[in-house]
Amino acid sequence: MVKKVIDDEFLSQVETLQMLVRNNVAGMFGGNHKSKSYGSSCEFSDYREYMPGDDITKIDWNAYARFENLYTKLYLDERQMHTRIYIDVSRSMGYGRGRKDEQALRIAATLAYLSVCEMDKVSIYAIRDGVLEDVAVGMLGKESYMSAIGRLNDLQFSGDSRISDAILPSTTGYGDGMSIIISDFLTDNDYERAIEHLASKKRHVMCVQVLAREELNPKARGKMHFFDCEDISREYRKNITRDIIKAYRQAVQYVTDRIRNFCSARDADYLLVPADEQAGEIFFNKLVGMGVLK
Amino acid sequence: MSFVNPLGFLGLIAVPVLILIYILKRKYTEQVISSTYLWTLSERFLRRKNPISRITGIISLILQIFIVIFISLAIANPVFVLKGMANDYCFVLDASGSMNMTLDGSTRFERARDVIEQRIRDSAEGSYYTLVVVGDVTSVEYRDMEDKATAIQRLDEVQPSQSDADTGAANLRANEYFTANPSVNVVFVTDKNYSQHENVEVINVTAAESNYAVTDAEYSVARTGVTVTGTLYSYAADAQLNVDVFADGAESAAASAQCEVKQGVGTSFTVDLSQDYVGFSSIRVQIREADSLPDDNAVILYQRESAATYSTLIVSDAPFFLEATFATFGNMQRKVIATEDYDPAVYSGYGLYVFDSFSPAEMPSDGAVWFVNPTSNVKGSGFTNGSAIVSEEAIKMQLNSSSSTKVQTLLKDTIASEELLASMTQYVKCRLNGTFITLASCNGDPVIFAGSNNYDNREVVFAFNLRETTDFVLSYNYLILMRNLIDYTFPALVDDGTFYCGDALTVNVLTGCTAIRVDSPSGKIEYLDTDEAFTEYVMKEVGEYTVTATINGTQQSVNVFCSLPEEERRVTAEGTSFSVDGEASTVRRDGRYDDLLYIFIILAVLVIADWMVYCYEQYQLR
Repeated sequence: MVKKVIDDEFLSQVETLQMLVRNNVAGMFGGNHKSKSYGSSCEFSDYREYMPGDDITKIDWNAYARFENLYTKLYLDERQMHTRIYIDVSRSMGYGRGRKDEQALRIAATLAYLSVCEMDKVSIYAIRDGVLEDVAVGMLGKESYMSAIGRLNDLQFSGDSRISDAILPSTTGYGDGMSIIISDFLTDNDYERAIEHLASKKRHVMCVQVLAREELNPKARGKMHFFDCEDISREYRKNITRDIIKAYRQAVQYVTDRIRNFCSARDADYLLVPADEQAGEIFFNKLVGMGVLK
Repeated sequence: MSFVNPLGFLGLIAVPVLILIYILKRKYTEQVISSTYLWTLSERFLRRKNPISRITGIISLILQIFIVIFISLAIANPVFVLKGMANDYCFVLDASGSMNMTLDGSTRFERARDVIEQRIRDSAEGSYYTLVVVGDVTSVEYRDMEDKATAIQRLDEVQPSQSDADTGAANLRANEYFTANPSVNVVFVTDKNYSQHENVEVINVTAAESNYAVTDAEYSVARTGVTVTGTLYSYAADAQLNVDVFADGAESAAASAQCEVKQGVGTSFTVDLSQDYVGFSSIRVQIREADSLPDDNAVILYQRESAATYSTLIVSDAPFFLEATFATFGNMQRKVIATEDYDPAVYSGYGLYVFDSFSPAEMPSDGAVWFVNPTSNVKGSGFTNGSAIVSEEAIKMQLNSSSSTKVQTLLKDTIASEELLASMTQYVKCRLNGTFITLASCNGDPVIFAGSNNYDNREVVFAFNLRETTDFVLSYNYLILMRNLIDYTFPALVDDGTFYCGDALTVNVLTGCTAIRVDSPSGKIEYLDTDEAFTEYVMKEVGEYTVTATINGTQQSVNVFCSLPEEERRVTAEGTSFSVDGEASTVRRDGRYDDLLYIFIILAVLVIADWMVYCYEQYQLR
């Protein structure tokens, strides 16, 4: 499946993109992302007085000539980021002809590829029934990516989601990169605790809401009796009229606004993606526009 | 309440069918979707619960059930009985000539019809209508008719006459109906004022019409020209009237006169025509000014004196009295021969053969015949000679006192008083067949009689000798009777005179006449009976009639002008009385209400409402 949606030509195009992490990364290993600590990169950061034991090659002799004091030049450190991608594999994501599942996997695979290109570590998890399942953990480098990404094909969409129940007990890391949650978020507030938890761990959080075109603009009219695919006891029975469609659109707007506002308040990114939207539109326009990619 | 077609309620079977369809249509389409979260959440955003949206289905069903019910009701046609709401009406419609007066495009007659039609429309169903039309004759168009539409249709077919109205006969009819049913409402629609109208509602349809008339037109011919006189009337207001005179169709002269409105008094006028018009055939006198009733604005005069002359053969050995008598009356060409000279092969082609004390061997077949003192039987003469009655004392000759028209015509102007009657001492006792009329008799024996012979030629017989045994030729009645008998022998096709609508025109059936046709002013053609010596034709239209007789294969035509009766010319006229006798009853007939209009209106409203609900549903499902 992944091979179908992410072809070589597209990967070579997105390879030119680079992921931007809002918080400086505090990873253990060196990488391509700036760290808050001083290190051995080429990028000058500050001065401090020379202390015995400092590397004398870092002394700025020009400053000594001017101030007659020894000053050592400090440089930014570059660390490796650990990108964690959470895919909601509940039944609602995979039911019907909405192709939300395909879109979710396509986004996850692409973002993972971008991360490994940045020499970052990438882990992909599946959320099902409030449990976090490892799909491809600790991918590092393209070879590792190519060998592990095929596991996405094996994902089954079933059960319900309960995002917070899955993420909160898991190892999330601290300040070492980006956490991406891909879901339809068709729940009251199940995701909020998870986002808050990730934000508190100094993670750069991004929520990708994938909705089918039918969910955004339903075509159903007349006397309809809907059943929820995740819980058959949840039903909705109504004569779908113009007024109800109008209220439905307001409900969609309310749900998307609520997530957007919640994310915005916690310095997280939010992206609404129709299930049938082209990948180029998502990565080259929307994510670049949001500043997540450059 | 009852129903005309109770089977119409079978349509209510459609109601359960509708309910079944409604129940089947209520079924919801089941569908599993990825999440009902958004749909459930949308309930919070329904700004106001639109109650109509929730019940549009049931509203539509209710409306459709009502539609079915009302359609069934309409087919069943309910009839409600309205106690004492209907009436019996007897409408008397004046259709006299004055009802033709026109104002603003409608005649009095049309307004009268409208009044009756409105009464019929306004009356309750179940009412009965009787229509009596008073025109040239009084006729009952319909009696106790219940169907409004037919009553109005028959009313619309009634046309006004140009005659005066016989309101007496109509009053009798109204009385008859009122006596039979004292609750009948008698409504008399007329253009005359009736001060006495007990138990009758009189509706006067007179408006502010104007009318002029020309009457009493006459002409006199002199060597120097023709003088036309007449009288002009203006009935509504004083007016300056102009009269045009057309001689043989060409405008020839004109006159003007100031007319004042005086009851029964007109203004005379005189028009002189030059000697070029002395030989005219007809003169039309026409008022130039337009008015409400054009029927009385023209008169046509005819000059008939220039018509035929009559040839007479007198076969007599002493023709003095007869020749002198015939000479008295113009237009008669006379030839006198002795009895011994008479030869039927030589003397033929005469209009009248007079045989004085002589009986020919056979009857002339080509003309009228007079026998004076017939001496023997003549085959085909229509009478037989008997013995001679001789009396030493003079016997008074009695004139026929019959009131029959023929007798009165032939004895016109004679006087039957004892001292003026002739007497005689000898006459021939004759026996007559049925075609003869006795004009004078002695001792019950006919002595002067007239009729037709076997050749259908007119025949007059004097059964006595004019010269020797009677003083008849010296009596008062002699010339009068001779004039009448000559007129009878040589009749004009029609007599001159002034004719008014409703008058009977006497048409003489001339010798050899096989057909008489009358063309009315409106173009109607009628053929008259030619079996009798004369026949009558009642003129019902104003204008020029043409009477055409076919006599021995050739046609002879005469024009006659018929005028509007004087009483129909007045703009306002007084009627005498139109009352019905008796005590009016207040008992009324039960009315009926079966108008489906309201049901159809409700049906239309229901259909429109259902259609609007359907449109709303479709709009909501867009």
